[in-house]
Amino acid sequence: MLQLQTYLLLLLTGIMWGGVYLLMAFGLNLIYGVMKVVNLAHGDFIVVAGLLAVTLYGAFQAGPVLAIPLATLLFLLVGLAVYRGLLAHVDTTGSQGELRTLLITFGLSSIISNIALLIWGGQYQSVPFFQSAVRLGPLFLPESLIVSSLVAFVLAFAVQFWLTRTRWGRLVRATAQSELGAASCGLNTGRIRLLTFALGAAMAGAAGALTVVLIPVQAASGGFVTVQAFTLIALGGLGNYLGALLAAILLGVIEVSSSYFLGASAASAMIYLIFILVLIVRPQGLLGHRGRI
Amino acid sequence: MALFQRPHAPRRSLPSGHLFIACLLLIALVLSACASSTSGGSSSSGPIRIGFSITETGPQSAPAKFDLQGYQLGVEAINAQGGLLGRKVQLVYYDDQGSASTAVQLYQRLITTDKVDLLVGPYQTDLTSAIAPLVTRYKMAMPAMAANLEPFSGRYPYLVQSITQTPRYMIPVIDLAATKGYKTLALLIQDTAFPRELAQGIKQEAASRGIRVVFEATYPADTNDFTALVLKAGAAKPDMIIGATYLADAEGIIRAARASNVNAKLFAFSIGPVEPEFGSALGDAANGILGTTLWFPTIKTSGNAEFVQKFRARFGRDPDYHAAMAYATMQALAAAVKMAGSLDQTKIRDAYLKLDLQTVAGEFKLNSLGQQLGYQSYVLQWQNGKQELVWPSEVATSPVQLPHPNW
Repeated sequence: MLQLQTYLLLLLTGIMWGGVYLLMAFGLNLIYGVMKVVNLAHGDFIVVAGLLAVTLYGAFQAGPVLAIPLATLLFLLVGLAVYRGLLAHVDTTGSQGELRTLLITFGLSSIISNIALLIWGGQYQSVPFFQSAVRLGPLFLPESLIVSSLVAFVLAFAVQFWLTRTRWGRLVRATAQSELGAASCGLNTGRIRLLTFALGAAMAGAAGALTVVLIPVQAASGGFVTVQAFTLIALGGLGNYLGALLAAILLGVIEVSSSYFLGASAASAMIYLIFILVLIVRPQGLLGHRGRI
Repeated sequence: MALFQRPHAPRRSLPSGHLFIACLLLIALVLSACASSTSGGSSSSGPIRIGFSITETGPQSAPAKFDLQGYQLGVEAINAQGGLLGRKVQLVYYDDQGSASTAVQLYQRLITTDKVDLLVGPYQTDLTSAIAPLVTRYKMAMPAMAANLEPFSGRYPYLVQSITQTPRYMIPVIDLAATKGYKTLALLIQDTAFPRELAQGIKQEAASRGIRVVFEATYPADTNDFTALVLKAGAAKPDMIIGATYLADAEGIIRAARASNVNAKLFAFSIGPVEPEFGSALGDAANGILGTTLWFPTIKTSGNAEFVQKFRARFGRDPDYHAAMAYATMQALAAAVKMAGSLDQTKIRDAYLKLDLQTVAGEFKLNSLGQQLGYQSYVLQWQNGKQELVWPSEVATSPVQLPHPNW
């Protein structure tokens, strides 16, 4: 009985960590899905949003309830500025185009993380919110995980709804499926790309301001966050929404359970082992093209 | 002398004008050689120059800047007391950005181009290990604030340790636990060099005090989720949960323990609670948690109160243990050079090994390999959102609050 409880707890914790990882990969996935741009500064957006939440807490004892809307708004603006100022000026078509966007966003990542280093220093920072346990019968579940994963799953369904049921969402999907086709139907694809990039950046802002209650961030840890998020969306099939959800839950459950049964060092190996397996067997990702934006 | 006798030497066919110009050129040459040797070091009249690299920029720069300020204040104190060997002392340093390969290049430059008279170490064990072969090749005596014993295992005889050695970091925690009668211990170890060596020290001390390790696990540095680890540790029902950790993982373990309602009578971490960010990140959850520090502003080491006051006046902030260790390194350097009576590196190295000096960081005393035996560590506890020194009891600023209440 006690064993069963532990297994259930591990499963739930794993699913919830999946939600957290999904939250952190959201913006990256949207931007890639529509624009075929891998935003290497994604992790730095998350980290800076987290550090901003720390500053807000330090100055006003303000929690995620204030930090999330502020970070979302700020990174919406950052997204607009980055697109208008940088990405709109380069030709992103073809294989050369992908390389260019990689270089630009890599440079951006370097600039952002070093500015963050100047402002916040190199120490790991976090804020004390949602720290208690929530009792569910005999099980104790971490409040921070419950909140983060709930937000993640709600956001996942909201974006899904937006993409499939609203006019703007349909325009975004049309651009994602064929930019040329969308343009020839008279859509202003430049504006749609701008909107997408800004939304993706705003999502990173929201994710950062929330997950900082769970994962301490440091000015230089953005690169690692980007890699984690990229692994997740590659596993799910780049730009694939359902795939990312599935991959996130899979990764969370594997991480937590293998950490329990095989030890924590084995857990991180397991994740990349599965990643490599998927790349060999299904290089298009778990769901591949089905369910793509 | 021969130079000035030349004009009086019997004249050959060389006209006197030419000879005069040749003499002037020769004198100019000698003078310029003298001048360049003053700026290039190894002069016996200018200031004694102490070289090092330090991480002024980059993610590791926060503690390294305390090191730098400790060195600076240390040199100012030496100069205020009349310098060394009758000469002023001066620092020559560069930014290594926390990169081991950059540090190697910079120490090469300090030794061969700048020709500094003395060396002190950079911040971090990794960088010290990287420059150790170079420093040894040039036979330069160097005190280094590297806590791991690896650079002081006999391969690099010119390196001496000027910080508490890693295996001793958590000995006072075990000592405190033993006096409280705690018998069992769960040990969580980050899988990197410093925590691994630290864990060895904990296990050795625990064994000698009759404390059993009932659970032990390592985890990678990039671990986010500590739930599984903490659940397993808690299942062994230990009296104590001790982490050989840095800051982020110490916070992760406390968060997971609280959220999963895993309890123990004592929670202690190596690095983590000593950082002010531990308190701001965890809030109430930080209270009652024990940590290790190598120095505290209130301890009664030689000249400590004066050091704290001078540091505040000079830099406008409170010193931390890095600053104290760096200041003490300069105290040891001054004592060793005075004992050696010259800048002969082998004599200075031997002097370091013979030193028994009371510094702000405690007693500086080495064994024959250059490992630090004198410096110790202290236990602090977060109480009401503040760090208090709680062990050893004779230096405590507040009585220790144990056992840790259930979450």
